[in-house]
Amino acid sequence: MTSIEQNSSASPQESVLAIINSKAPFSSSHGKDALDVALIFAAFEQKVSLFFQGDGVYQLMDKQDGSLLGIKDYLKTFSAFEFYDIEDIYVCQPSLASRQLDEDFHIDDVQVLSSIEFGLALNRHQHVLRF
Amino acid sequence: MSTLHLIRQSAFASNDFAQCLSVLDHRDSVVLMDDGCYNLKHSLMDSLIKRVGSVNINIIASHAQARAIEIITAVNTIEISDVVELTFTHNKVITWQ
Amino acid sequence: MKTLAVVITTPPYSHLTITALTYVEAALVAGINVIGVFFYQDGVMHANENISIASDEYQAIEHWQRLQKQYQLPLHICITAAEKRGIACDAIDNDKINKAFTVSGLGELVELTTKASRLVQF
Repeated sequence: MTSIEQNSSASPQESVLAIINSKAPFSSSHGKDALDVALIFAAFEQKVSLFFQGDGVYQLMDKQDGSLLGIKDYLKTFSAFEFYDIEDIYVCQPSLASRQLDEDFHIDDVQVLSSIEFGLALNRHQHVLRF
Repeated sequence: MSTLHLIRQSAFASNDFAQCLSVLDHRDSVVLMDDGCYNLKHSLMDSLIKRVGSVNINIIASHAQARAIEIITAVNTIEISDVVELTFTHNKVITWQ
Repeated sequence: MKTLAVVITTPPYSHLTITALTYVEAALVAGINVIGVFFYQDGVMHANENISIASDEYQAIEHWQRLQKQYQLPLHICITAAEKRGIACDAIDNDKINKAFTVSGLGELVELTTKASRLVQF
């Protein structure tokens, strides 16, 4: 692989990639596939932010245990975000409210945002992928 | 900052369209394509059409015609080649599929 | 310079892929520099040499091959996603992989994303 060039069109406050997680954690591999993308961007020192919306918010909820389903619990890897310098983690408040969920997450430093704030936060990114 | 939103799923089957609308900003554009064309008859469409002028709404003509969907005047009919142009007249693209 | 990178997550037997192909070809015809297509999730199935789609159905794989040849369009498949789907990538002369595709890792997606002025997912 050749060296990663900094894209000149990105302003300093703008992150390279936003990943929107929209699926619940266990029935599909979307959450894991999104996590793999996030970690590789971080490993290449590219700024990546994670957004959780719709059923994606279930990926953040505490007291889950994928091992009961025989699944390798990729949610445990979320605790490594700090190590990877993945600092911007946003969750959509209306998505929590409509699912009767409290702000009881299995990782720290999750920012709960209104729809408008969620959209504005997305706007601070150069590219968006959604899983 | 403006975003081009590609809508590829029917709102009767998934929440993708609703999630898109919740983050839609003024100056953004929406393109209904594939089964996203069915959203033209979804109740969520009413709130979107009220925002015409601030938000630009488009539908892929061939995708709508193939599905026997009657196109309404508030919505611009375009082709996929126009989506290429829209990709570069907006700052980023989000695909809701 | 208008540069475009595309991520494909749908398989060759999904009709959603036709839209993606139409889009990529339209971009190439318009003279956009498409720096690469990255196949992720079920998108990697395009590189599966064993896939045979009935001749009266849409030939997505042939279409990618044609674009690759005509425009020297780089087609990258994610190795992890491919191996998970039975497309073995370790052998040098691998007969399971369509030769139009390059076996890459997610690092290639980082490369494409940071270089492209637009990233579009299908």
